[in-house]
Amino acid sequence: MNAPQALSDYAHLVQTDRIHGSIYTDPAIFEQEMARIFHRGWLCLGHEAEIPQPGDFRATTLGRQPVLMVRGDDGQVRVFMNRCRHRGMTLCEDETGNEKFLRCWYHGWVYRNTGELEDVPLANAYGAQFRREDFGLTPVPRMESYRGFVFASLAPTGQSLLEHLGLARRYLDIFLDASPTGEIDVTAGVHRTRYRGNWKFVGMDGYHPHYTHRSVMDSWKRRPGGGMANLHHGDPFCDESGNLTRDAGNGHVLLDMFPSRLAHVDEYLAGIRKRPGGEDYIAAMQEAHGPQRARELLAWAGDPHVGIYPNLQLIGIQIRIIRPLAVDDTEVLMFPALLKDVPPSINEMRLRQHESFYGPAGAGAPDDAEIFERNQQGLGATVEPWVYLARGLERERQDTDGSIIGMPGDETTQRGQLREWKRMMSEA
Amino acid sequence: MDITRETIESFLFHEADLLDEFAVEEWLALWTPDACYWVPCNGRAGGDPTREVSLIYDDYARLQDRVWRLASPAAHSQRPRSRMRRVVGNIRFELREGELHTRSNFLLAELRRGRQEIWSGVCQHRLLASGDNFQIKAKTVLLTQSDEAIDNLSFLL
Repeated sequence: MNAPQALSDYAHLVQTDRIHGSIYTDPAIFEQEMARIFHRGWLCLGHEAEIPQPGDFRATTLGRQPVLMVRGDDGQVRVFMNRCRHRGMTLCEDETGNEKFLRCWYHGWVYRNTGELEDVPLANAYGAQFRREDFGLTPVPRMESYRGFVFASLAPTGQSLLEHLGLARRYLDIFLDASPTGEIDVTAGVHRTRYRGNWKFVGMDGYHPHYTHRSVMDSWKRRPGGGMANLHHGDPFCDESGNLTRDAGNGHVLLDMFPSRLAHVDEYLAGIRKRPGGEDYIAAMQEAHGPQRARELLAWAGDPHVGIYPNLQLIGIQIRIIRPLAVDDTEVLMFPALLKDVPPSINEMRLRQHESFYGPAGAGAPDDAEIFERNQQGLGATVEPWVYLARGLERERQDTDGSIIGMPGDETTQRGQLREWKRMMSEA
Repeated sequence: MDITRETIESFLFHEADLLDEFAVEEWLALWTPDACYWVPCNGRAGGDPTREVSLIYDDYARLQDRVWRLASPAAHSQRPRSRMRRVVGNIRFELREGELHTRSNFLLAELRRGRQEIWSGVCQHRLLASGDNFQIKAKTVLLTQSDEAIDNLSFLL
């Protein structure tokens, strides 16, 4: 194998069937990822339903930069750089809350929750030129939302959000349209997890469940219908399942489990019908979407299992936000979304299903974290530095919508993400 | 059996030993079939687990799943096991409608793969006196770290 050339030679580091391990371990590459991916492209900050009331806010990050997503008294959601215009303090001491006014406790500057500077103590010392209207909170350079999913970019120009989402837009719809009114409630809290490994390990990998999650898949056989087995009938990751890995372009990829879910939809619906109000939920879905589409949406169960590049995933019931902290340190936030306008038992079922696998005490997520940490350690051995991602390369094909599809365990998804990674990293 | 500070302490210390030593089957045998094992998330003690996410909200079947999985050779996050030692203290208790409600603090040192974590919190037990021992009907663990980023909580609290 050839030694890597200059680290900036991304065409060399990311080849069709293999990638160089340094993209997971090199701090200089991580710095460039921050500049070229996280401080330039579209990132998802969350969903407006996290902050339903006027004054509700969430302090979060856009790449490394602190931002505030806040719903103003006028009902509008805005994203501001979380930085007092005076000396640069962050504004909210809590991560979430509700405030009519956002106060800087350093020197007492006060902003409205719509961003205008409301008050500066002893403002007369600033002289006649000082105008409060020049010192409102700085909006993020670009912000767009899609059905309440809030995206922002630090680049003032670039492709629109819809161009960026491309084919993946329909998977955001599938997540939301598990509710008969297409609305979600994201006030159920958050599972915050963290692992000492590179952010790109949180991929979309249909090859790993049989090994990384063997204990969970064994438990499905032991107690059918329990935990995630409520959602999966049979083995969704074997070639015979009919399922696919799908590269929808722009780095957006999914484990497309619709084929096996549709094949088993009657078993899934039988489980729903056993719950109080389950029949009402199915009827409301049919009323809202018509029988055919309702059947499809119920088969999806609101779980598109999609990664929207680079930092959003919609998996199970969760809105998952990936926060890279360092080249070998990553935080993953999992916000379970409740469905609006459904019987409480449906949401309770979804929460228990989520907890059974995800979060730091779930049966799945800690094993992923453990494997990612071992992966980070293993990549420290650099004598043979390549990571091999050729699985299914010979058999992948193009679907009618233009996306590229492979078998459930094929590395079509990793190749799709890394192609976008290479494109973004190569743009000066 | 007598309900005294001594018998209550003895039971809680015994449970702590089972957890530290990963005697998970023996620990599971302490529970009643209507078990509720709850570790709230996001510092939301007293919240509504039917519409808020928890770190753990197990009934008996889910508790059985949890214990069964930990015995699997493929429970990677507990391969190797966490090495743990916890101290239980500040125990208070009262009898309410035939149930013994206890509240205790714990401090747990957990060592795994070169990293030591200090966990702490409050445990609220609802116990039933049964023969020579107590049984656990419900246990709620208010974990100090419940709103922080956590990588691995796959051992038992």
